[in-house]
Amino acid sequence: MINEIINHLEDGIAALQTLLYVDAVQPLLFRLGLMGYDEDTYDALYWVIVGVLQIVVMYALLRPLEALIPAEPWRDRRETRVDVIYTWIAKLGVFNIAFFFLLQPVFDHLQSLMAIHNVPNIELDALWPGVTDQPLASFLIYLVVLDFAGYWYHRWQHRFGVWWELHAVHHSQRQMSLWSDDRNHVLDTVIQAAFFAGLSLFIGVEPGQYVMLTAVGNLLQSVQHVNARLPFGPVLERVLVSPAFHRRHHAIGYGHEGTRYGCNFGVLLPWWDMLFGTASWNATLEPTGIRDQLAPPAGGQRSYGEGWWSQQTYAIARIVERLR
Amino acid sequence: MTHPLSRFANPSLRRRAQVLLLGALMACSGVAAAATRVIVLDSAEAQLTLIDPTTHKVVDTQPTGKEPHHLMITPDRSSLIVANSVSNSLLFIDPRTGQLQRRMEGVDDPYQLGFSPDHRWFVTAALRLNRVDVYRYDGHTMALAKRIPIGKTPSHLNFSSDGKTVFVTLQDSGELAAIDLATQTIAWRMPVGNAPAGLWMTPGDKYLLVGMTGEDDVAVVDWHKRQVVKRIPTGRGAHNFRSLDDGRHVAASNRVSNTISIIDYVALTKTRDITGLLPGPDDMELTADKRYLWVTFRFARHVGVIDMSNYTLVDTIRVGRSPHGIYFADRAPVLGPNPD
Ligand SMILES: [Zn+2]
Ligand SMILES: [Zn+2]
Repeated sequence: MINEIINHLEDGIAALQTLLYVDAVQPLLFRLGLMGYDEDTYDALYWVIVGVLQIVVMYALLRPLEALIPAEPWRDRRETRVDVIYTWIAKLGVFNIAFFFLLQPVFDHLQSLMAIHNVPNIELDALWPGVTDQPLASFLIYLVVLDFAGYWYHRWQHRFGVWWELHAVHHSQRQMSLWSDDRNHVLDTVIQAAFFAGLSLFIGVEPGQYVMLTAVGNLLQSVQHVNARLPFGPVLERVLVSPAFHRRHHAIGYGHEGTRYGCNFGVLLPWWDMLFGTASWNATLEPTGIRDQLAPPAGGQRSYGEGWWSQQTYAIARIVERLR
Repeated sequence: MTHPLSRFANPSLRRRAQVLLLGALMACSGVAAAATRVIVLDSAEAQLTLIDPTTHKVVDTQPTGKEPHHLMITPDRSSLIVANSVSNSLLFIDPRTGQLQRRMEGVDDPYQLGFSPDHRWFVTAALRLNRVDVYRYDGHTMALAKRIPIGKTPSHLNFSSDGKTVFVTLQDSGELAAIDLATQTIAWRMPVGNAPAGLWMTPGDKYLLVGMTGEDDVAVVDWHKRQVVKRIPTGRGAHNFRSLDDGRHVAASNRVSNTISIIDYVALTKTRDITGLLPGPDDMELTADKRYLWVTFRFARHVGVIDMSNYTLVDTIRVGRSPHGIYFADRAPVLGPNPD
C-alpha cells in the first residue's frame, strides 16, 4: 500500500522533473554553454521539486489550522514573514548546492580514507537479511538512529555557548508558526549537514534512497512549530513529538534558559527525553523566545535581528563577544 | 493509468509493443537459457535495475555504491564491472544475471572505465577529481601505475588499436587529450569544442568521432594530425556512441534534441534520425540479432527499446532515477578498438 502511494508520487515527481528540465532548464544550460552541468542540474532539480512539494503540503495542511484553532492569538503575522524566507531557502536546496560545492569534496575524501584504512562501517539494513532490508523496516531503523543522534545534537546546541548563539536564531522567534522550523543560522545548518553526512557514512544510509525519510521528518517538524491547538493525547504524544511538547522547549524559563537549563530536546521522537530524564509533559501555554528579549526588568530587551541578514550577523557578533 | 511521460512518446506504441512482445515470447519459448538480464545503472539511486530481456519486466534491483555511471565487461568476459564514482569502488558482477561477485575498494572516482585492446591496461577517468588513473592489468588484478592530473572533468575514454594510446575527452576544458600508456604521460591535448563527451574510433584507427554535448554535432578528428576535419550535424547535445555492427554505421545519442542519429562512418555523414524518444537518450546496447537497440533515457527514468527494422520506439520500461549505463550479455559485438 505505502509502496504504491510512494510509487505514484514518484511517478508524478519524475514527470514534473522531466518536463521542467527538458522545457526550461536544459535549453537554458545549452544556450549558456553550460552543458557540463547537464547531469548534476537534472539530478538537483529532483530535490528542488521535493522541497517545493513539501512547502505546498505543509501550507495546505497547517495554515488553515493556524487560522481556525490558534494556540496563541496574534495581532498580525508580521514576525513570521522572515521565517517564510528561511523555509524557501532551505527547501529550494540552496544549502544543498553550497554543500555540494564546499563540503562534498571533503566527504568524498573522508570516504576514500575510510576505505583505504578499513574503517568498518555498519550496514544497518543488512543486520537481519529479509527483515531489516525491507524498505519500511530499514526506513524505520534509520529514522530511529538518526533521531537519536538528532537529540544529542540538539542538546549540544544548548550546552555549548558558541553553538547556542547560533541556535538562538531559531529560538529568537517569539511567534512560532508552521514556518519556524527552518529558521536557523547558516553555519548551524552547515554543521548539521556535515554531522549527519558523517554519521551516514558509518551507518550506510543512502540519503537519495530515503526521500520519504527527509520529507516525513520535515513535515513533522513543521507540525511541531505550528501555532495551533493540536492535542496528540497521552499516547500519541509519547510516540511523536507534539506541538505542545516542542512549544514547551521554546518556552522562556520553562523549556530552556539558553545554555543553562532545558527540556524536550527530541527532534521527532520524545523517547530520548523520557530515557534521559529531560521530558516535560506540562502543556501550559507560556511565552516563547529568549529571556533577554523581554522588556526590563525580566530581560534586557535585546534584539536578535528583524530580518534574515541581521539575524545572521548578530549571531556572529554575539559569538565574538563571548570569545573575547 | 496513463503513462506519465506520454507527452513524449506515441501512445499507440504500447499496443504495438505488446503484439511484438507476444511474437518475441513465442519465438523464444523453445530456448531455456540461464536467466539473462538487461542491466541498467540508476546513477542517482545507487542501484542497478535488472530487466527480463523478453518480457521487458523489471525483475529485481540490486544495491551498488553511490553514483554508478558506467559499466565495462572484463576482457575474459567473466565479469561486468560497475564503477561507483562517488563510492570510489568497483563492483564485479555476473554479466548474465547481475549478481555480485566481488568488490574492489580504493579506486578513486571511477566515472568512466576501459581496458586497452591488448588487455595490458585498465584506465579510469575521474571526472570529479580531474584525473586519469592508469592501472596495469594481468588478467585478474589491477595495479595502479600512475595517477595523471589532466584538464577539467575527463569524461569518456577510447584507445588506439595497438593499445599504446588512450584518448580522453575533457568536458569542461573543451579538449581531447591523448595519453601514452607505456610512459603514462600526456602526449598531447587539442581543442575540439563545447563539452566533448563520447568517443568512437573509425576502422583502421583513421578518425575519432567526438560527441559534442554542448553543440549539435559530432566532430570528426584526424587524431594523427590533431585536427578537426569535419563536423557532422546530428542533433543538440550529441553524447555517446554504439556500433551497429553492419560494417557501415554507428548510432549517436543526442541528449538535448532527444534523438538518436545514425552515422555512416565511411562517408562521414548522417543517414537518419530516430525521433519520438523520451528525454535524455544516453548509453545504448544492441541485441545480438541487431534488431533492437536499447537506450537509457537519462532525464526520464526510463529505458527504451527501439526496433531497428523501422527505427521506432516500441517499448519503454520504468527504471530508477537517472539511468545511465546499460548492458546485456546477448549483444552484437562492438567494433574494435572501441571499448566494449
Ligand atoms: Zn532548542
Ligand atoms: Zn524549534
